[in-house]
Amino acid sequence: MNKLGEIAVAMKGITKQFPGVVALDCVTLQVRRGEVHAICGENGAGKSTLMKILSGVHQPDAGELEIAGQSVQFHSTRDAENAGVAIIHQELELVEELTVAANVFLGREPRTRFGLLNDAIARRKTEELLGLLEASISPGEMTGGLRVGDQQLVEIAKALSLHASIIVMDEPTSALTDAEAERLERTISTLRQQGCTILYISHKMDEVFRLADRITILRDGCHVCTIDKEGTTTSEVTGWMVGREITEHRFRSQQAIGTCLLEVENLCVASQDSRQSGQLHNVSFRVHAGEVLGIAGLMGAGRTEVLETIFGASPNQWQGRISLGGEPVSFTHPSDACKAGLVMVPEDRKRLGIFANLNVTENISICSLFHAMRNGLLSKQIEEDIVAEPIHQVGIKAPSLTANISELSGGNQQKCIISRWLLTKPRVLLLDDPTRGIDVGAKAELYELIETLCQNGLAVILTSSELPELLTLADRIIVMAEGRVTAEFPRDEADEKKIMAAATLA
Amino acid sequence: MKLWSSFPLHAVRKWWPSNNEWSLLVAIVLAIVFTAIVDTNHTYFFRPMESLRDIARNSAMLGIFSLGAAVVIIAGGIDLSSGSMIALSGTVCSVTMLSLAPTEMMAFKPVGSAVVLIAVLASLLTGFFVGTLHTWLITVVRLPPFIATLATLVGLRSFARAVCESSTAVLTPTKSALINVADPAFKVVRENVWFSVGTFLVLAFLTWLMLSRTVLGRHLKALGGNEQAARLAGIHTENVKWFAYCFGAMTAALAGLFYIANESVAAPVNQGRGHELNAIAAAVVGGCSLSGGVGTVQGTVLGAFFLRVVIDAVSKIIKTGADVYEGLIVGVVVVLAVTFAQGVNGLRQDRRFLPGALGLCTIPVLALLAGSLASMTTGAASGLATGFTAFIALVALRIWESRSHGKRVQVSISG
Repeated sequence: MNKLGEIAVAMKGITKQFPGVVALDCVTLQVRRGEVHAICGENGAGKSTLMKILSGVHQPDAGELEIAGQSVQFHSTRDAENAGVAIIHQELELVEELTVAANVFLGREPRTRFGLLNDAIARRKTEELLGLLEASISPGEMTGGLRVGDQQLVEIAKALSLHASIIVMDEPTSALTDAEAERLERTISTLRQQGCTILYISHKMDEVFRLADRITILRDGCHVCTIDKEGTTTSEVTGWMVGREITEHRFRSQQAIGTCLLEVENLCVASQDSRQSGQLHNVSFRVHAGEVLGIAGLMGAGRTEVLETIFGASPNQWQGRISLGGEPVSFTHPSDACKAGLVMVPEDRKRLGIFANLNVTENISICSLFHAMRNGLLSKQIEEDIVAEPIHQVGIKAPSLTANISELSGGNQQKCIISRWLLTKPRVLLLDDPTRGIDVGAKAELYELIETLCQNGLAVILTSSELPELLTLADRIIVMAEGRVTAEFPRDEADEKKIMAAATLA
Repeated sequence: MKLWSSFPLHAVRKWWPSNNEWSLLVAIVLAIVFTAIVDTNHTYFFRPMESLRDIARNSAMLGIFSLGAAVVIIAGGIDLSSGSMIALSGTVCSVTMLSLAPTEMMAFKPVGSAVVLIAVLASLLTGFFVGTLHTWLITVVRLPPFIATLATLVGLRSFARAVCESSTAVLTPTKSALINVADPAFKVVRENVWFSVGTFLVLAFLTWLMLSRTVLGRHLKALGGNEQAARLAGIHTENVKWFAYCFGAMTAALAGLFYIANESVAAPVNQGRGHELNAIAAAVVGGCSLSGGVGTVQGTVLGAFFLRVVIDAVSKIIKTGADVYEGLIVGVVVVLAVTFAQGVNGLRQDRRFLPGALGLCTIPVLALLAGSLASMTTGAASGLATGFTAFIALVALRIWESRSHGKRVQVSISG
């Protein structure tokens, strides 16, 4: 049995350069066996790079790595797996077209005497592993059909099947609902009892403080400190992360609410999808000028579907009534919605939002190009003048107007997408989980931005996978479960317990 | 250790032309100078205008539909059908002339400018129809672009042959797989290279203007970069695709007119056969990314020019028909150009070119290729020598790679 307290992982003077940036600068870190060790830092602080070095994805330019006191060099993830290190990546790396069992044993498929695949064994072992994780997933299911939370569990099962003694989790809850995150937390404590060492990267401070034994803070590729959880506070840690103290965002004062801008009545969508997701049943709500309406719900509850349907971006037919500023509307394409003054910031910034091949200016001006014309041709000068205003208003930090959008941090990319829509002078702004994967400092800035926009008379609908965020920002919260609205709370009456109860109503 | 990993790269990256187009320009000049010296007839010295005219005409003809291929690729699609579209365009043009003026066509006499104009418009309209069909197959039937245009690659040529044979069967005494085109309008185009070069340059300018200075061009790039984001940003992606595929098919239709002018005949059996790949190659060599969203007109123009210069160079040096080696040259140029474009990155990640069992098996493949090429062009003895030398060199590279790889590992242990 492993002795608690002995050093499981020691990283000494790890340095890693990428072209143009020093991702890690002489980072030294010790992780004790059997502890949950949280790694905190803003985006770009080097957390993921450090973990990728530990798991053999990247090789360090300098520095030494020891596992259980033995000096090791990993040239591939396979080397790391052999040494008992497994990583669960932030972006899940599963083959969606294969079954759960096939994914768990990918690259290490059990075989029969004749060298053929032995699916029976793979399935049985997968079932055992999933049972350990309290997951009700069948090993024969297609991985692509699973919800994100379940896919995450498949990744964890994969790590367990390697008999890994050290498991790295890179922001595992960024795509999970609170219920799924809770299940993951139980899994982590089980793993810990079995003697696993867990390195845990997260932006969510409450999570870090619930789970971790010790916390390491990285900033700009440098090790700031490693500290026992008991010896510190949330604001101290966030302060170390950003290099300054962050004041907790305060509830904004109740505003005078304006006229009703968007009214949705009995919105129904019958999904063509065979799985239940994407269906809506009699969804009704209204949003007023200067108001933030929060939509809470578990993943697959229909939050995104509601926003997409209103925005005209859903492929499914819908019934019901939507009126914008008193006029009944029925958008069949996002451009119609945009013309009418209703815009949406989609949930997955990378996949649905940014154009990685275009620069900052081009990413912002894409919806307002007709205002940047001179003599029938686009004028770069006018285009840059047009985007200058929202860049200033929203506070985008970019090396230059012509910098590639990929060079910006997640928070600034999201601000670019919001600016893109602000240029079209909208009346209603739909924000689908706008702070996902964004670091603490940038989140606070986005909160302020949303508040300013509201004060200017915009109606905002906000969904979020983090309840505290909704409780901070929303004037009113509706809760959805399986395509239905199950509860509505004004802000003073809402709390996490009530919302979770409504979100889990069958 | 630090020196090893950082020194050569920074030095290389400073003098390496970061811009793909500059590298292409340098490569073109080098290829011309090399050919001028190595060619034993010294054609480039003694008959420069004639050589220039040949290269210019061929580059212009390839360039016209390469621009179409580039626009489709930038929009995130692919058009495999342009070679067949060339054949169909030529056939439609000549069949239109044949049906409007059968006696003149059969007697190799002028058909009149009105008939020529109608025939040309009919060809371009066919291009529009084909582009529309592609867009319908892709956006409504939801076929992948590769499949949709693969179907028309095969189908349109067959269709063109059928149109040619059935219309000649009705309009002329005998069924024929060819239609001769003798109208002076086409003769003028053939004899005066400025028509094709001028058309190409004007088209290139308009395409550049469209891509870099119009809303449509920006939407094309956005569509190619991220189709879902483009739709959610309110871009009517189907319409943008419609334009891209029509542009691709109509430039091929335009090129088809120059093909029949150049060869005085519409021959749907093999006119433009396989040329769709040359156009895609020109675009890719010119810096277009097959994943979409990236590419320029300048690069594509230089890419087309570079391909034709190298093909011409080889035919001058070897002095056999360029057509035999054309495919081989295009293949090698594409591999080298794209490899060099990635070159600096490849160096940085200290990539191994002959890793593991795959590397071992690649050694004889490359040596055999080099040896057989050399023996076909310069004789058996030198071919054997080349193959052997290549084999030794590759084995040496393999040994060096495995040793330096091992060394790097050791360094990182002590570092």
